[in-house]
Amino acid sequence: MEEKPFKASLGSHGSDKSSPDNDIRNLWTRSTLSQPKLNVPRSSVGENSDMEGGGISLKSRRWYNQKAGRDSDGGWEERDDGEDKGSFKQEDLNESSLLELELRRASSLGSRLGEDVDSVTDTEMSSSESSLSISKHTPHRAYWMEQQNRLPLPLMELMENEALEILTKALRSAAPLLGRPCSCSLP
Amino acid sequence: MLVVFCTKGALSKGCQEVTRAFTLMSATMKLKQGSFLWYLYLDKLYCLLSVRNVKALLEYFHLLDVHHNNTLNDVLFYHFLHHVTSWNRTQIMIVFNMLDWNAMGEIGFDQFYMLVCILLAQQNHLEEQFIFRHSRPVFELLDLDGELRIGAENFHMYNFLFNIKKQDLRELYHDFDITGDRRLNYKEFKLFTIFTMDKYQERQKAEKDKDKGKKDLLKKKRLHHVNVSLKQFLGINVSESRL
Repeated sequence: MEEKPFKASLGSHGSDKSSPDNDIRNLWTRSTLSQPKLNVPRSSVGENSDMEGGGISLKSRRWYNQKAGRDSDGGWEERDDGEDKGSFKQEDLNESSLLELELRRASSLGSRLGEDVDSVTDTEMSSSESSLSISKHTPHRAYWMEQQNRLPLPLMELMENEALEILTKALRSAAPLLGRPCSCSLP
Repeated sequence: MLVVFCTKGALSKGCQEVTRAFTLMSATMKLKQGSFLWYLYLDKLYCLLSVRNVKALLEYFHLLDVHHNNTLNDVLFYHFLHHVTSWNRTQIMIVFNMLDWNAMGEIGFDQFYMLVCILLAQQNHLEEQFIFRHSRPVFELLDLDGELRIGAENFHMYNFLFNIKKQDLRELYHDFDITGDRRLNYKEFKLFTIFTMDKYQERQKAEKDKDKGKKDLLKKKRLHHVNVSLKQFLGINVSESRL
């Protein structure tokens, strides 16, 4: 997965526009640096990227929302679900305050086209400072939600190596019979 | 959260020749150390895999499913079992025919999951508990002819799967064949599983008591030694004081 560096300043609106191929998965890197974006509700993640002018495709947004939706349904064991519930409760409390920030941001972004970059940056910095303390408690949330769905890498490696051995043996036994009219027989 | 089995429909299959081949065979299966299955574990009470383990197993199944049919054919199935277990070709094919209850020539993930649970139950010596907890699916697997009755030859054939000893089999047909037709229906089989489970629990308890008895003996010995040394010490002190 490519992680493109994110520019902290929200004045980088133009640069986002110039990189239409930004993957939705890069959002988790952005979320750490762009304070207003931290603890954003899942449904609004894709919308934010669009508002910034990022080239995140509709498909990847849907993929992210679907994945996040599966995570919240408890695809892992019960103890993980308990932890998720706890973090979601915290998220609920933050969401109302963040929604306000998002609305402010959206209006600021909408009016940015004709405004000075400095003035926008100042207003957004002030709003970002208020959410900084909240965002510190749930960093990299999108990243960790995605990581939870994956199996550990050592286990994946073990499974892949074993499957490769089995399939190689199966191919060696079946190879002499390939192309013949009879079906494959066992050694 | 545990993942349960899907039961199969009864289909007619004749395996009398194979039954003869396995009458005397009772090899204990061992999983290959360090293999993927070796790292999985069953819930000891329900003899099922957790959701996390099933997720990993599903990933493993998809890796083996090279044709992307969500199934394993006989060649892949054979090489998989040959790699991870100590079974020979005949045993593996018996298991394949047993699990291929739709007679498609392929094994789906449901059957694969059941097989893995059976392997892990054997590996961890949980056969009695497994048969008790999943008596219905096991009965349907053993009921080869689909007559809702299990003959002694069926048990002989799958002896290597569930480690049912000859003595237990004799008791089974002597004590539980209530109808007297020398075959077991499901209720009789269920009674057998309950009885086997009771025996297993008694054995566990006896082993625990034995261990406890040994520990108590050790404690008594130590106490005795301590008492003796104390007496000796006190005896010396008294004699010194007298002097």
